[in-house]
Amino acid sequence: MYQGQCGGSINMKMTAQRFERIVTAYGSEPARWPAPEREACIHFLTESPAAQALVAEYRELNLLLDAVQVPALTQMEQRVMRSLREATRDSLLDKVLDWLLPRQQHGMAWAWRPALVACLPLVCGIYMANFYSFGINSVENSWQEELYLISMNDYAEITE
Amino acid sequence: MTDDEVLMRAIQAGDSRAYNSAVRQHIKPLGHYAFRMLGNSKDTEDIVQETLLRLWTHAQSWKPGKAGVSTWLHRIAHNLCIDYLRKDKSNVSSELSDELESGDRPAQAPEREERLAALREALHTLPERQRSAIILSHYQGFSNREIAEVMGITVDALESILARARRGLKAQLSE
Repeated sequence: MYQGQCGGSINMKMTAQRFERIVTAYGSEPARWPAPEREACIHFLTESPAAQALVAEYRELNLLLDAVQVPALTQMEQRVMRSLREATRDSLLDKVLDWLLPRQQHGMAWAWRPALVACLPLVCGIYMANFYSFGINSVENSWQEELYLISMNDYAEITE
Repeated sequence: MTDDEVLMRAIQAGDSRAYNSAVRQHIKPLGHYAFRMLGNSKDTEDIVQETLLRLWTHAQSWKPGKAGVSTWLHRIAHNLCIDYLRKDKSNVSSELSDELESGDRPAQAPEREERLAALREALHTLPERQRSAIILSHYQGFSNREIAEVMGITVDALESILARARRGLKAQLSE
């Protein structure tokens, strides 16, 4: 359809075949042509009457395509957003777990997790101490031992 | 880190606020794409809802650097539309003409109105992939590489599909 070649930019040559391919694929508007080849295409267009005829041939189609609009889908969008909010809403358990172990990477979340892990042995220790004495005598005995030790100290001071 | 990466990392971590923000950002273009593909609001709603639900449930499958979030979501919507159209072609109805005729579009000259109606009809009868390519290229504003990514084809193949689509539309308009 087209004869010869035309340089579009310093780095790129535009051929008639390539120009035809671009216009038939992307239409008559230079803004829609592939960015790397756009400059070469525009240069080719200014120099080739056949290229100008091809662009004119596809111009009406472009204008008609522009005129085909979609209606406002506001209600549909609202319904979808409402149902998505319900589908992705966290349960109470999720909220508690998220508070304890934050999934979101912001604030002090980075410090909170190690701190919580470090506290676990302490919490376990307190819990177990409620049930096991680990060989430590009752409170009454420990007071007696304490008094005995105090009296020993006093005795030592007197003898000195 | 790009805005898409920040947003998707938050969604992958379960941040529902980030998810809602992404939904607000993408619902309109996805709705327009699906409506142009399917031609009616009921099916559009189903496709958009499913696409955006997958943004939450399949967020982990988005990989940074491969495709933008919009491209990724359009790929999901494209596949859902193609599946839908292939499964139940008989059910596809077009509200496009009715909605536009009753809308607040400025009055057109009768001849131009006829041409527009012929184009709408021609768009509706295009094969699904050609229609999708035209919509993504002309209305959704994607680059050729992004459209190729959405459709899972090469840029060369995309250009062939687009050229066939435009030639087909022109032929139908000149009948």
